[in-house]
Amino acid sequence: MGFLSASTSFTRYRIIGEIPETLWPEIPDRLKKNAFQDIDHTSEERSFGWVCFDEMLDSQWRTAPPEKGEFMTFSLRLDTRRISAAVMKKHYTLALNDEMERVEKEGKKFVSRDRKRELKDQTKIRLMARSLPIPAVFDVVWNVRSNVIYLASTQGKLCSLFEDQFTLTFDLHLEPLTPYYQALQLLGESRQQQLDDVEPTLFV
Amino acid sequence: MEDAYLGQATDIVLGQDFLTWLWYKSEAKGGHFATPDGETFAMYMEQRISVQGGEGDAKETTSVSGLMSELKEAKAGLALGKKVSKAQIKIELDSDVWQTTLKAEDFSQTSFKTPKVEFKQEEGDDPDASFLEKMYLVERGMAFLDAVYFEFLKLRFSEGWDEERKKVRSWLNKNGQDD
Repeated sequence: MGFLSASTSFTRYRIIGEIPETLWPEIPDRLKKNAFQDIDHTSEERSFGWVCFDEMLDSQWRTAPPEKGEFMTFSLRLDTRRISAAVMKKHYTLALNDEMERVEKEGKKFVSRDRKRELKDQTKIRLMARSLPIPAVFDVVWNVRSNVIYLASTQGKLCSLFEDQFTLTFDLHLEPLTPYYQALQLLGESRQQQLDDVEPTLFV
Repeated sequence: MEDAYLGQATDIVLGQDFLTWLWYKSEAKGGHFATPDGETFAMYMEQRISVQGGEGDAKETTSVSGLMSELKEAKAGLALGKKVSKAQIKIELDSDVWQTTLKAEDFSQTSFKTPKVEFKQEEGDDPDASFLEKMYLVERGMAFLDAVYFEFLKLRFSEGWDEERKKVRSWLNKNGQDD
């Protein structure tokens, strides 16, 4: 659920290092260069990239620009094709049975391991092409004054994907505001040693 | 954030110490706090709390939900040396209420709710007005959390922490006697 929902789950980041002034006017173009590519008509397993904050079908920002007041807004869209294990098993068995019939006619008694792997891969591709990718969208809000960034997700894998895509797009590095990093920010880097040496408090 | 990272062990120590201390502050001290600008607000833990103890395979978690008075099991866990690993937190300022579930190990926020924002648009309204109001409220809520965490950090790394630790212990012991 995004930031416009009544209830949101999110992770907070800050940008490490200086942001070059030249970056700001480039943001819309950089977003477009790393925009989401549709995979509906392919058999790709997944695709991800940026889309317009206001409209997940818009990867050209025709609906609205990313700027909203003091924020840069966009969303990370991730489409994934999933094939249920049961469906995969059934179609692989069918393919294997056909193959067995074929090799028996040739007088052989078994299907080689390499051929089995090949059949599995072919089955997967065939099923992928027949299944529709499931879309998911995660809001990103970047406060350009404080350079704090909010990602509407708390899932580890998605957070990693976002961090990589953000760095790839803007050439900037993110630091999640976890207790440690936030303590470094609030107390100052000079207290790092003290933080690194911290031991759990024994309350009882 | 998937793989092990620098500061991961410290994250858990600080996050759990913070939430455990916050429970004590919210229950024994009424949860009164102030921002660096002097704005006063209430922050307290309620209804859903998880406590965790041990490490690796021996890790044990107790999750309880209920009214404050019924969180005895979680409190019993604290008395055994467990720490708060996740908690539902409420922030109140006048009639405005924020609510979130904060995870100790990474400070991720789940089910973060701000005071209500009207999303109905009227002609001539700025189309981004509701979004901007919503983000203002999200950042305001986070600023309250940050202020309380900062207060904790200053205390945690001061000579006064030992004294505070004893106060938390006597609060826990007192609760044990009440049961």
